[in-house]
Amino acid sequence: MRNALAIAKKELYLYFTTPIAYVVFFATSFIGAFFFLSLASEFQRRSIQFMSFQAPELLARLNLTDMVAAPLILNMGVILIFVVPFLTMRLLAEERRQRTMELLMTAPIRSSEIVFGKYLAALGVLAVLIGITALFPALLDTYGTGATGGAAVEWQTVFAALAGLFLCGAAFVAVGLFVSALTESQVVAALITFLVLLLTWVVGWKAADAEGVWKDVLVHLSSVGHLVSFARGVVDLKDLVYFLSIAVLGLFLTHRAVEARRWA
Amino acid sequence: MIDVSRLTKRYRDLVAIEDLSFTVDKGEILGFLGPNGAGKSTTMRILTGFQPATSGTARVAGFDVFEQPLEVKRRVGYLPEIPPLYPDMTVAAYLRFVAELKGIPRKGRKDEVDRVAHAAQVAHVMDRLIANVSKGYKQRVGIAQALLGSPDVLILDEPTVGLDPSQILEVRDLIKSLAGKHTVILSTHILQEVIATCDRVLIIARGRRVAHERLADLQARHPGKSLDEIFLDLTSDTRIGGPVEVPAQGRAA
Repeated sequence: MRNALAIAKKELYLYFTTPIAYVVFFATSFIGAFFFLSLASEFQRRSIQFMSFQAPELLARLNLTDMVAAPLILNMGVILIFVVPFLTMRLLAEERRQRTMELLMTAPIRSSEIVFGKYLAALGVLAVLIGITALFPALLDTYGTGATGGAAVEWQTVFAALAGLFLCGAAFVAVGLFVSALTESQVVAALITFLVLLLTWVVGWKAADAEGVWKDVLVHLSSVGHLVSFARGVVDLKDLVYFLSIAVLGLFLTHRAVEARRWA
Repeated sequence: MIDVSRLTKRYRDLVAIEDLSFTVDKGEILGFLGPNGAGKSTTMRILTGFQPATSGTARVAGFDVFEQPLEVKRRVGYLPEIPPLYPDMTVAAYLRFVAELKGIPRKGRKDEVDRVAHAAQVAHVMDRLIANVSKGYKQRVGIAQALLGSPDVLILDEPTVGLDPSQILEVRDLIKSLAGKHTVILSTHILQEVIATCDRVLIIARGRRVAHERLADLQARHPGKSLDEIFLDLTSDTRIGGPVEVPAQGRAA
């Protein structure tokens, strides 16, 4: 474990002394702000509309959690598909290209510790991304009030949604790490990771047209689809299992890929 | 200290080393010579646990490289052919990272980094990015990295490549000063280096051993010849033609 932390520290050092982490943070907050503003102005439009209808029962149902915070976090799940490949592309591909894998593999540490340390570092950056996402509901909470005068945001729901987003990101990072173990080229690693993650998203679109068993299969395969109940504040075991099993499988395959390299 | 017995490594249909046996005593500096592609780097990679051998055994400090790799890795400092450096790190951050990897306790880590930085003469570039230092410094940072934790065994793959003549002399002195305390395997193309630093030589060609003896004995067996001539004689039959192919049988099936 101590060795994994040494690797994680080095990866974090490289994330934060090179532009990559900052570019990812900037992109996430910029696109997040764009979604946030459009969701917030949509909320505003509806509130004014319902007020002019003189429909207090409709107005009471409008709330910032379900109309702004939760959809925003769902959208961030899609943004992760674009961002995670850039976080993971370097992790193992660059070690191979720079021939530094030889240093790691001849140091008195296990290859599982190398893989886990790199995973931890990427999760650290991911946690900051989730923190950035959490700023938007916090803004709502600071400047808004609920319909009945209480808190504007239902934090329980928001925390569940953020936890779901983190799990989703953790699964994506494991996929990216595995792809990075397969190639020496960062660009190839990023593109293939992006392709795989994109597929897990668009497969959900196809689910709408499919019928019977296939519909179920496609719905369950869709990564962003598994975020939906988190965004409603419901932590469902099947969503947990989905994200965690992808993460574990990704790490296992990465470890296999790193070991297999020795025998080439 | 190092005991290699009947070591063979094949890459698909290419034989890198075949039936290689040799020993290195404690505190000895072994000069490891051979033409390009003879299998020097492969042998070193097997000894450091980076690659497994196809067959045969290698033991370092009594531990089998394949059976107990972590014990071996704790006792070996290794400078690969291409120094394993992170261009985006400063020299200091890099050496601290390697010290941590090698499990040097936090308390002594700074002193140990300073010690090797002085030994390899990189103390004055500690705060520069590795990407921005010259090739000679990169090589020396690689040597410093291998010295961290003063391992019993040092395996240096062409440590003087890319250095200027005065740096070469410094590195030679450094390696000579390691004798006695450390067991060193030093691969090189430069025969002067062997004469200057090594007790014994191991010469391989086409993955096979062609000489393994004291430098003086080697010269006594070939009277009137310089080391260069002896080296050329021993490896001459391998200078023409490429790597050896394994006989096709067994491959076709």
